[in-house]
Amino acid sequence: MITQEKYRSKAKKLLADGSVKMVIGYSPGSTADRRRPLFVRSFEEADQLVLDSNCIANLSGYLVTEGLLSDEKRVAIFLRPEGIRSLNILAAESQLNVDQIIIFGFDSIGREVSSLSGEHAGEFSELISSIKENPPEKSSEPLLYQIEQMNPQERFAFWKEEFSRCIKCYACRQSCPMCYCRRCIVDSNQPQWVNTSSHTLGNFEWNIVRAFHLAGRCVGCGNCDRSCPVNIPLRLINARMAAEVLESFDHFAGMSTTQEPVLASFKKEDSETFIL
Amino acid sequence: MTRILFSDKLDNCVTRWQSAGFSVIGPVTKDTFSSYAAVEHASDFDLGIVLPDRSLKELFFPQTEPMLRYTIKQQAINTEDFTPPSGKRLIFGVRPCDAAGLSIDDPLFGWDYKDEYWFQRRNDSVIVTIACTKSDDFCLCTSLKLAPDTTNGSDILLRPLENNKGWQVEELTDRGREAFLTIAEFLQEGSEPAAPMAVVPEMFDLDTCVAWLQNPENFESKFWKDISMRCIGCGSCTYLCPTCHCFDIQDEGDTYSGIRRKNWDSCSFALFTMHTSGHNPRSTQSARWRQRIMHKFNYFPGKFSVNSCSGCGRCSRQCPVDMGITETLQKISTLHS
Ligand code: SF4
Ligand code: SF4
Ligand code: SF4
Ligand code: SF4
Repeated sequence: MITQEKYRSKAKKLLADGSVKMVIGYSPGSTADRRRPLFVRSFEEADQLVLDSNCIANLSGYLVTEGLLSDEKRVAIFLRPEGIRSLNILAAESQLNVDQIIIFGFDSIGREVSSLSGEHAGEFSELISSIKENPPEKSSEPLLYQIEQMNPQERFAFWKEEFSRCIKCYACRQSCPMCYCRRCIVDSNQPQWVNTSSHTLGNFEWNIVRAFHLAGRCVGCGNCDRSCPVNIPLRLINARMAAEVLESFDHFAGMSTTQEPVLASFKKEDSETFIL
Repeated sequence: MTRILFSDKLDNCVTRWQSAGFSVIGPVTKDTFSSYAAVEHASDFDLGIVLPDRSLKELFFPQTEPMLRYTIKQQAINTEDFTPPSGKRLIFGVRPCDAAGLSIDDPLFGWDYKDEYWFQRRNDSVIVTIACTKSDDFCLCTSLKLAPDTTNGSDILLRPLENNKGWQVEELTDRGREAFLTIAEFLQEGSEPAAPMAVVPEMFDLDTCVAWLQNPENFESKFWKDISMRCIGCGSCTYLCPTCHCFDIQDEGDTYSGIRRKNWDSCSFALFTMHTSGHNPRSTQSARWRQRIMHKFNYFPGKFSVNSCSGCGRCSRQCPVDMGITETLQKISTLHS
């Protein structure tokens, strides 16, 4: 409650003095525990902002909405640590000018919400380093551990079963702040690189393409996983890829606004274990 | 006195239907996820859920379906049709909104061209609907002038008795009567009262909404931009909807051989209306969301005299950003046309 009030007042102040044109946050949703994205443009609307532990969605993807930042005005946005990391990546990949973004940082433990200190992307590097140094316990994701214990055939069978439900609604892509391409590879049809059909092969192609495009870029915000209407545990794929790039290249996605994309940069000391 | 099917006889019925040549299908939950799927035994059904996560439409209009195979050799072009799979099916435990969805799409698939894939499956299927005694925050059949015991699209309507003891049987069509003849010996005459129907509150006044949508001045209303700002343009609402029916025809293969398929498509996608030139007549998400609402409650009823929505609530239940038909129509009903 205290954090919510603090940010409501801050939103009002910034909107009133014209330092930002919009605050992107959360409002109550259609049930007691749902929250929905809210775009606040006036002093009065700021009273609709809520902030509690149910505010889970990573809103940073809205920052690259076509035209939003092209007037060079500033926008404030509520972000959890993963959201700040994805903002860093958007800046590092030249998708936005990070000086236009004011961060309302927050995190929660249980139902307790606290604010993060700092309001510009560069001010959170210590926090992000500490997240890198203190990864979550393996036991927090038992299914991931279980899959890692499987042999390749079992693993293939597991994912085949999961992907058989995919309907290619692309909610995973649309909700992911890192999937900002105006024309996704699967939407290209001259030539048609990837089958559009949602059969076993097409579903594999889609999910594998996405996994590779997210390698070293996924921040683990969970938007994709929560959006999937058929409950495919998508977070596990991206968590696995993140662990892989961390181990091979010591790359933790979203450290800073100038971090080089791991798959687009080369260092002499990079391990080459995967080149046969 | 009405005819009663007691729950403990359901497995006998399933077996009997199977030996009469029906493939028996019904709501099934696997892990955390439910859909209409084939069963072996009555115990495979999950009749306790409000409604399956996935809708009934996909049993009639699957997400991808082969239409023809082509080969091109020197001068010769050969094509071979994939005829729709046939075989009798009995779909048990359908929800009234899902069954109504089928009857909404019937005129669409039979209007100028009779879609043989749809109608082959329609003719092959017996729809055994169970009226709802449970609902959730998202159900909105009553707002669409339907009800938890709507019979549209059903061949049989079952009304649950108290304590899950069984169902009162109402035969609605010859197809339903025939299928229930095969299990006549498992039915009993009885006077057990039906359990009370689910109470689904009306969320908006549909006529007010339709009048607003029909007013051409509202096409460019600022309302559309405001309501859809958070829409991320996925296909979740369309693909889970029991009445959304748009599809795309795709050739998979190469110049010399391949398969032509019919795949679900969604008006929420930017690509849906993209021209070859790159111009997109529906260039913003608000134009796409407006299309979805206009199509369901203005254009479709204008052509077929029925709204393209049966009130299942899936679009709101599953939307990643908590949007859906309900919120939009609720807000429209408070606007002045
Ligand atoms: S959200 Fe789920 S169902 Fe939709 S495309 Fe992604 S993996 Fe497939
Ligand atoms: S892949 Fe999923 S978890 Fe990773 S950044 Fe995108 S939405 Fe978030
Ligand atoms: S309304 Fe929701 S489910 Fe439908 S396209 Fe928009 S974000 Fe996706
Ligand atoms: S529009 Fe929404 S509520 Fe209506 S039938 Fe489709 S999914 Fe159900």
